[in-house]
Amino acid sequence: MQKFLPSLVMAALSVALTGCLQSEQQDEKVVINKNPYPSTYKALPLETTLIKNATVLTGTGSRMENADVLMIDGKINKIGNNLSAEGAVEIDANGKWITPGIIDVHSHLGVYPSPSVESHSDGNEMSSPNTSEVWAEHSVWPQDPGFQKARAGGITTLQILPGSANLFGGRGVTLRNVPSETMQGMKFPAAPYGLKMACGENPKRVYGARKELPSTRMGNMAGYRMAWAEATEYKRAWEKYDADYAAGKNPAAPKRDIELDTLKGVLDGDILIHNHCYKAEEMAMMIDLGKEFNYQSGTFHHAIEAYKIADTLAENGNCAAMWPDWWGFKMEAYDMVHENAAIVDAVKNSCAIIHSDSASTIQRLNQEAGKVMYRANENGFDIAPELAITWITANAAQSLGLADKTGSLEMGKNADVVIWNQNPFSVYAQAEQVFVDGAKVYDRFDEKYQAKSDFMLGQREGE
Amino acid sequence: MKQLTLFKSSLIALALASSSASFAESFAITHATVHTVTAQGVLENATVVVENGKVIAINPETINADSIIDAKGKILTPGLIGSMNQLGLVEVSAVSRSRDASDKKANITFDASLAFNPRSTVIPYSRKGGITSNVVAPRGGDDMFKGQTFVADLSGEFDSVRMNNNSVVIDLGAKSKGSRALSLQNLQFKFEDAVKELAKANKKTKNAKDEKEAKEPSREAQVINALLAGEKALVAYADRATDLLALLKMKEQFSLDLVLVGAADAVLIADKIADAKVPVVMTALDNLPGSFDALHVSLENAAKLTQAGVSVALTVNGDTHNLYQLRFHVGNAIANGLSRDTALASVTANVAKAFNLDSGTIAVGKTADLVLWSADPFELSTKVSQMWIDGKEYSTQSRQDALRARYTTPSDMPKAYIK
Repeated sequence: MQKFLPSLVMAALSVALTGCLQSEQQDEKVVINKNPYPSTYKALPLETTLIKNATVLTGTGSRMENADVLMIDGKINKIGNNLSAEGAVEIDANGKWITPGIIDVHSHLGVYPSPSVESHSDGNEMSSPNTSEVWAEHSVWPQDPGFQKARAGGITTLQILPGSANLFGGRGVTLRNVPSETMQGMKFPAAPYGLKMACGENPKRVYGARKELPSTRMGNMAGYRMAWAEATEYKRAWEKYDADYAAGKNPAAPKRDIELDTLKGVLDGDILIHNHCYKAEEMAMMIDLGKEFNYQSGTFHHAIEAYKIADTLAENGNCAAMWPDWWGFKMEAYDMVHENAAIVDAVKNSCAIIHSDSASTIQRLNQEAGKVMYRANENGFDIAPELAITWITANAAQSLGLADKTGSLEMGKNADVVIWNQNPFSVYAQAEQVFVDGAKVYDRFDEKYQAKSDFMLGQREGE
Repeated sequence: MKQLTLFKSSLIALALASSSASFAESFAITHATVHTVTAQGVLENATVVVENGKVIAINPETINADSIIDAKGKILTPGLIGSMNQLGLVEVSAVSRSRDASDKKANITFDASLAFNPRSTVIPYSRKGGITSNVVAPRGGDDMFKGQTFVADLSGEFDSVRMNNNSVVIDLGAKSKGSRALSLQNLQFKFEDAVKELAKANKKTKNAKDEKEAKEPSREAQVINALLAGEKALVAYADRATDLLALLKMKEQFSLDLVLVGAADAVLIADKIADAKVPVVMTALDNLPGSFDALHVSLENAAKLTQAGVSVALTVNGDTHNLYQLRFHVGNAIANGLSRDTALASVTANVAKAFNLDSGTIAVGKTADLVLWSADPFELSTKVSQMWIDGKEYSTQSRQDALRARYTTPSDMPKAYIK
């Protein structure tokens, strides 16, 4: 029996050790608050509303004639013909068109506001190629008059992104387009954060001019890869901490790093990539970069050359957010075609979006989408309004991780609705009434529903 | 009215001519809805005859032309005229060696037409917008005078500069460094000094025993003198009402041919601008207060100024590459109150008038810059059916069409083989 003694001793020892660990005092678990600046948004005062007899583009690819839309408690309750609802406010929309609220996935309202004075130029922390630690929401000036103008153009939801000078520009935030004194009052509840990345000319120009990395496109790639490698280690360190703690140990928490928190958020699937990227070859590499570090490469913004790799984008589940016709301001914008979004959209499982990146065109995303539709139809496509509307509604919602909440007129979804005076793809179209979560936030014919920024108050004669 | 159609040449020649209309010496566009942008207004089912680059007849009793184009009721307008951009001076904005619109040392004599590149890909692209000619404005350098405008057609031909040095561009208003007052003061002094010099020179010339004593003024002074003589327009970028009023005052004092550009506050003093018969070149889509100089911008300003009697010319702000969008800007101006007739004038006759061009209307004797539209020229769904510059037909096909065609053509081979 003696020969077993050492192992018994060992066993006893190990029991004692484990027992000791189990009884060891655990420090309080270090948990990172993922939502330290929570939304305080509440829908504006609302009534049960029934919009009657309109042409409805649902955002799901259908078009309904003489249709009614019923909004109850901020949700789409029903769409159909000859609906009625007791106590509902009825709006006769005969001859008018209804679409889901328009969504812009790329805006700098609030961070590059009007007036564009130095004191408000808060959209891009151009002090390091990786500024994943900055959050666009911390720069938003809610009094930017641009929010009101965008609302008059039917914009109900918009993502505010940092600028594109950095490889990692920081977090974007998705807002409800309602007036508020605070950013939190506009913040879309439970919307995922975005992480702005940028390919190509901007980062290499800005940092190359300072003789820093990156000064080339290969420098750009190196910069992303080094950051993701570090983030992977950071994530592993936290996972080990969580696992050890769960096992009853009392591990030391990894040193908190605000920059890496954001990158880890992407690796965890909580934060969505929004990548300023124009060129086909760069988008293809960014897709592989995502695979290399095990994250989804998200939405390509501007994507001037998306039409060259439409298949690749669809196969990998990438959205492309595009302009209809901006081009020529730099080499990476030289190969624009008007039909870009249509070519991207034509592939199965695609996600084509029209975005603005402009305080002016955000007011006319309907026209921007229209331009693509008409130019494409002149050149062999057959795109109907019910499809084109998805480029500025449902597909945009998908890109922002909000497809279950907004972007289409379906039962149970948020009642984000625009009533247009006519086919929204006309140059003469105007949004007449705009609803966010079932509450009227804009009415072209009723001053009561025309909000005004503090900045504009008392500035103009006769107002 | 029954029209008798006579052909100058044989049917074979006609067939040839219609297959490449650009070689036709004369042609007639029949059954068109002609927006003349003159007192004649809109002519339904009308005929326009073009010969040697000019409109030679409208609704003649007999049509005498090498070829006939049946417009089938479509709208014919004067070609649209762009203005105050850098078309032909910039291929890619961020590529420094493709830019010729500015130079640090540029002054009032800067003639950027010497750098105009008719082969720029932006030109055929802009034709998609029905633009047939354009007033190019240099961006100059440190001097408040940015140089002189020139006028080019969009034919892409090497002779497309129609007129150079036709107006003087000055940039006034808010400054990042310094005070706007100094610019206004300097401008005022320049005119006052030039008036004195001219008087002195006149006296000298009278008293001079021989002509040698009369010294030729400097090249800069010659330009200022041309402004004082009304031979060139002074085209001034300014927004705030105080700057606009200062300019109106100078116009009166020195009898200047003044054109205001931007003019965000123009609505505040619309009557004064109208009384002074000063045209305003502006964008229809500016409605955000970009600065403290521009608090009164609005989508309705084009309509409001027009109603006050101001001659408004619309242009596209920002990048030259967006010039093709001009007609959509006009559509938006209409949606915000501008009358349809004025709207068309704002991108044709009014631009021509502001910059003294021989185009912008459909009238006998005028340059045949014409556009036939598939439908309403300002609607998103409309396209250019046919267009003529100096009476010659041009295509709207551009590099963008070649790219689209390449990437929508199925092939087992790499796309580079598709041409």
